[in-house]
Amino acid sequence: MEARIVNKGQLPELLDKLAKDYDLIAPVKEETLTFFRKISCAKDAFLEYTNSDISPKGCFLPQSEKTFSYTYTGDSLEIVKPEGAKKTVLFGARPCDTRAITTLDPVFEGVKFGDEYYSSKRENTVIIGLSCTKVLSTCFCYAFGGGPCDGTGSDLLFTEIGDKYYVEVNTDKGKALVDTYSQIFSSQGADQLAKGKEELAQKLSGEFVRKVDLTGVKEVLDGNFELPYWNGDDYKKCIGCGTCTYVCPTCHCFDIFDYTTGDFTGDRIRCWDSCMYPEYTLMAGGHNPRPTRKERVRNRFMHKLKYHLDRYDMVGCVGCGRCVRKCPVNIDITKIINDLKEVAQNA
Amino acid sequence: MPNPTALTPYPVTITKIVDETSDVKTFTVEFDDPEIMENFGNKPGQVCMLSIFGEGESTISITSAPTRGKFLEFTVKRVGRLTEVLHQMEVGQKFGVRGPYGNWFPYETMKGKDLFFVGGGFALAPIRSLIDFALSDQYRKDYGRVEILYGSRSYDDLCFKSDLFERWPSLSNTGIYTTVDRGDDNWKGRVGHVPGYVEEVAPSPENKFAIIAGPPIMIKFALPVMEKLGFKDEQIITTLEMRMKCCLGKCGRCNIGSKFVCVDGPVFSRAQLKGMPQEY
Amino acid sequence: MDVMQQLREQAKKLLEEKKVDMVIGFGQGTELARTTPVFIDSPEGVSALTWGPFCANNLAKYLVDYKNAEGNVAVVVKGCDARSVIRLLDDNQISRDKVVVIGVPCAGQLEWQKVMDEIKPDASLKETTDNGDSFLVKTSAGDYTFSKKDYMLHRCLVCENPNPVISDITIGKELPVKNYEERFAEVQELEKLGTEDKSAYWDKQFSRCLRCYACRNVCSVCTCQICVFDQMKPMWVSKRTNLSENTVFHITRAFHVAGRCVDCGECDRVCPMDIPLRKLNQKIHKDLGDLFDSPTPGSKPGMLSALGEFCPGDPEEFM
Repeated sequence: MEARIVNKGQLPELLDKLAKDYDLIAPVKEETLTFFRKISCAKDAFLEYTNSDISPKGCFLPQSEKTFSYTYTGDSLEIVKPEGAKKTVLFGARPCDTRAITTLDPVFEGVKFGDEYYSSKRENTVIIGLSCTKVLSTCFCYAFGGGPCDGTGSDLLFTEIGDKYYVEVNTDKGKALVDTYSQIFSSQGADQLAKGKEELAQKLSGEFVRKVDLTGVKEVLDGNFELPYWNGDDYKKCIGCGTCTYVCPTCHCFDIFDYTTGDFTGDRIRCWDSCMYPEYTLMAGGHNPRPTRKERVRNRFMHKLKYHLDRYDMVGCVGCGRCVRKCPVNIDITKIINDLKEVAQNA
Repeated sequence: MPNPTALTPYPVTITKIVDETSDVKTFTVEFDDPEIMENFGNKPGQVCMLSIFGEGESTISITSAPTRGKFLEFTVKRVGRLTEVLHQMEVGQKFGVRGPYGNWFPYETMKGKDLFFVGGGFALAPIRSLIDFALSDQYRKDYGRVEILYGSRSYDDLCFKSDLFERWPSLSNTGIYTTVDRGDDNWKGRVGHVPGYVEEVAPSPENKFAIIAGPPIMIKFALPVMEKLGFKDEQIITTLEMRMKCCLGKCGRCNIGSKFVCVDGPVFSRAQLKGMPQEY
Repeated sequence: MDVMQQLREQAKKLLEEKKVDMVIGFGQGTELARTTPVFIDSPEGVSALTWGPFCANNLAKYLVDYKNAEGNVAVVVKGCDARSVIRLLDDNQISRDKVVVIGVPCAGQLEWQKVMDEIKPDASLKETTDNGDSFLVKTSAGDYTFSKKDYMLHRCLVCENPNPVISDITIGKELPVKNYEERFAEVQELEKLGTEDKSAYWDKQFSRCLRCYACRNVCSVCTCQICVFDQMKPMWVSKRTNLSENTVFHITRAFHVAGRCVDCGECDRVCPMDIPLRKLNQKIHKDLGDLFDSPTPGSKPGMLSALGEFCPGDPEEFM
């Protein structure tokens, strides 16, 4: 694995260049919140953020996107697909979020059916991760094999060390970008910063507040669907909003609908959906396999901690902590994991 | 090689419409591009997503066996917005179809065995593809006796009347048992619920597969009857329905535990269902 | 005996005497400065109940879940939450004899994120004390003082009435009622803007909306069995977020609850995108006062809703 150095003072120059040559998506501050948005120049980027309020998964699975336009008169049908994705650079995604994108890959680019919309964006996007400099009380990425300086899922990983960025080149795509801007990425002295990165990773790993241990959790969920634990308070206090699913970087459920203004033309749109809504599984005849909040709350956590793991060999959570921060009633996946661990131990 | 264009429907034209009952119609469609039908490769039990532009998509089983010809048949009940619009369409009009999706009946494993089909109401449609497959000229010799036990609310609600009363009885080594919940002047046959009729007919589980499809209430009562008759869980096959949007195992909603009904189903054996959460 | 102790005692008594089957209250959350709704159904469970300046949730909405339950339900309410209870009763969402209201006069609620920014994150909470214009928060890592002016929830700064106006069991002493005049200051600021500026302001806010429906689901007067925005036939709004549909949702909802919204401010608190939703409802409250001389819905037991009843003296002949 190769490494480079970028002087902190040169980062604005790099970002300005990237903004010109690509669609550059970076963290942007909007009042009290941080979002990933397309920026046109370096000064619009807000890099002193801890983590964004919505994950950057929207770069690959946007909140809504057109899958095609149609012209349909009953006797004739024409379908027009949108253009493929433009060359994009996603800059500044935290390690939890880049890891989350790797959990989405097997869903969309799975064995039998690909997804041209997701793949087009994925192929044409270079992901530049940015190691954390701070650990929030709601962070727990370590529990799933991640870490504040982990490069999983990023083509390049920037880590701030003193007045420089230590850049790890993780993929060919990353290498290609580094070569294109070789005047900013220098290889001199890069290896010396590796130690600094190790030290930072060590320091940050000692700052986690939440103790999350998955030992035995999957086993207790396997074959124990009717666990009495799910009759506890969680489903009672859940208000059934979609907040946790929409801020989550690994959630991928979507809805498909047609948008038409009634003139024989229209668009087919794919947009985010949430398993917490009652009508998510409501069938046309009125039957609903998950009729109450209990089934839906249970399904959400079983999906994150078991089903995703069963299907794709990866846990469906990356420990970013957004759901923990944003849930209006303080439903906390770390508490549920630790409770389930206790259930496993007492079994 | 994964098909990345899986969300795009292909245009089909309606070539025939049969009014099965007051709210059920069977549409025969052909792809505008014949090459698509050539390569479609649908197997009995699979489903398609029908696109009614302006309304959306709906998952419908392919009710025709691939042996029947270069067309697809979809039997659609009028239950919601989309099916309402579809029911108003006429021969010659177009809509979109994408597929085939889902798994299929284990017709290879069933070779050499007798087949006992149990269908209720509208749900004869998904298993009809296997019935016709087993009764086809091409594969008839691979299967033993084919029996079909089918019931609906009333005579008017019986689907596939021409198959039930004319085509299937005329084929070799078949047995047709039909019943209705409520008799009337149009019906001279047996009156009673499907599970009760199954108990009466009492098929032997020897060298047999039972393929069951029906509304949840019928399945609930029929399965214990099959068990009582001695059918093992591996011998009982059913096909499930769920709300679906992508039919590709991505949009997340049709899961039963770790399985997606659109990819790992809709065909499941009772043995498989017993190992899954009872959430369907 | 302090409020928390009394609360636990009263709850225990209610459960032991089988006057209720369930007590809905606040329990310690997974951050020092957070609580979470707890549903206690046994006398031994009351030790989970807590009280303090971290109890922002309005628990009254949960009563709707127990409308058809066999037994009775007790719910812990603050001043604002009590108005919700009155509205729920007036909306026939639950019958009065099923509910035991445990009213606790509230000295204010703190914004948990702001508090946690100051406190050592792995500290545990020992005690909180109301000191008039600040709260003293004692933790295992030291004592912290949080001024109400800087750390309280926005809505608490203009609290209409900290004392529950409906209460079967009141715990804690009655608190003084604050000055009413600042209440609509923010609405008045917005009213001063021209149409284009107002429009630009709200466009900016609504464009962030995720349509998570947290605001609707937490609202104690949004109790429709099937919400108009969940309907499929016809599909008034899709699940797509765009400015047009977001605006339709928020403005429609503000009008759907007009005349019944009790100004508890929960919609504002739960919004993950920090949209100042309360301003919409406050504008309507201000208009209700200006046009109909109507106090805040739910602020008096038995009051009629300004938009829900017709009096012979009304200027228009028809509603």
